Amino acid sequence: MIRIAAVGDVHVDKDVVGRYRPALEQLPDRADALLVAGDLTRHGTVDEAKCFATEFGGLGVPVVVVLGNHDHQSDQEQQVTEVLTDSGITVLECSATVLEIRGHRLGIAGAKGFGGGFAGACASNFGEREMKQFVGTTEEISARLGEALRSVRCDALVALTHYSPVPDTLVGEPLEIYAFLGCYQLGNAVDSAPTALALHGHAHHGSERGRTPGGVPVRNVAHPVIKQAYNVYQLLSESVDAPLVPA
Amino acid sequence: MTNQIDFEAEIHRLLIEHEQIAEQGITVHHRENVVVLSGEVESTHRRDEICRQISSHFPGVAITCDIGITRAQAPSEVEEIS
Repeated sequence: MIRIAAVGDVHVDKDVVGRYRPALEQLPDRADALLVAGDLTRHGTVDEAKCFATEFGGLGVPVVVVLGNHDHQSDQEQQVTEVLTDSGITVLECSATVLEIRGHRLGIAGAKGFGGGFAGACASNFGEREMKQFVGTTEEISARLGEALRSVRCDALVALTHYSPVPDTLVGEPLEIYAFLGCYQLGNAVDSAPTALALHGHAHHGSERGRTPGGVPVRNVAHPVIKQAYNVYQLLSESVDAPLVPA
Repeated sequence: MTNQIDFEAEIHRLLIEHEQIAEQGITVHHRENVVVLSGEVESTHRRDEICRQISSHFPGVAITCDIGITRAQAPSEVEEIS
């Protein structure tokens, strides 16, 4: 059995430091690792990254993150990544990591992802240079996420993105902005590997649960959706209905 | 009607693009005499700043703020993925 905690869109800055910490201090009793699905900060500054590292670092369990669109706002994503990495936090961008947990190998492949839309209402790689760049970015990130997922040898594989791989978990958002919240190519990437669970954020007004066309469970863990410090998911179960906190 | 939609769009862009706000998850509805804001943010400071900035950029506009602060307690349940 592996238990992973997950949250996204925590948007940490000085005014948030300390809010999550009481719940995070309890995390090692509840989960084996913490995954954060992007938008770690408000504007993607180095100072905000330090605030995130202070709040979410040093937990006693591995912390694995992807960046979100907010974390790119100041064009300092490289410096932000360095701050997080120096604090012991693993940052994935079209890459993967494996955690050894009680004899199991938990594989996590992650990418920020991008928009583009879903079947029947998606952007095409056609026309103006700007449009081709937009969809080209969608295609490249999704293809590289797929490669990262397929590269991992593990007992349980998790895909971690900021943008959504399915429209199911966007229900609640205006239909008009679905194309800015995710893309079907990310879903194809998830389905190209034996993925056990796909986690994403970004859609604050979306829904919690969905599935890819290939049947992979998808969970939107944006903080305003889950309405608690983190959710806990159990993989490789040996028995059902195990208590969250052992008696 | 077009003006009302444009006004909502202007407020929405302010909420996202203003350096002191940067919130993408706030819903804006312009009723007859009032702007209703809803959604959730991470701190009371951020909620108050949203109202302050809208009042500053659109003086004379009445604001009703239904913005909540997202709870951050530890979970009590685990979901088994199958």
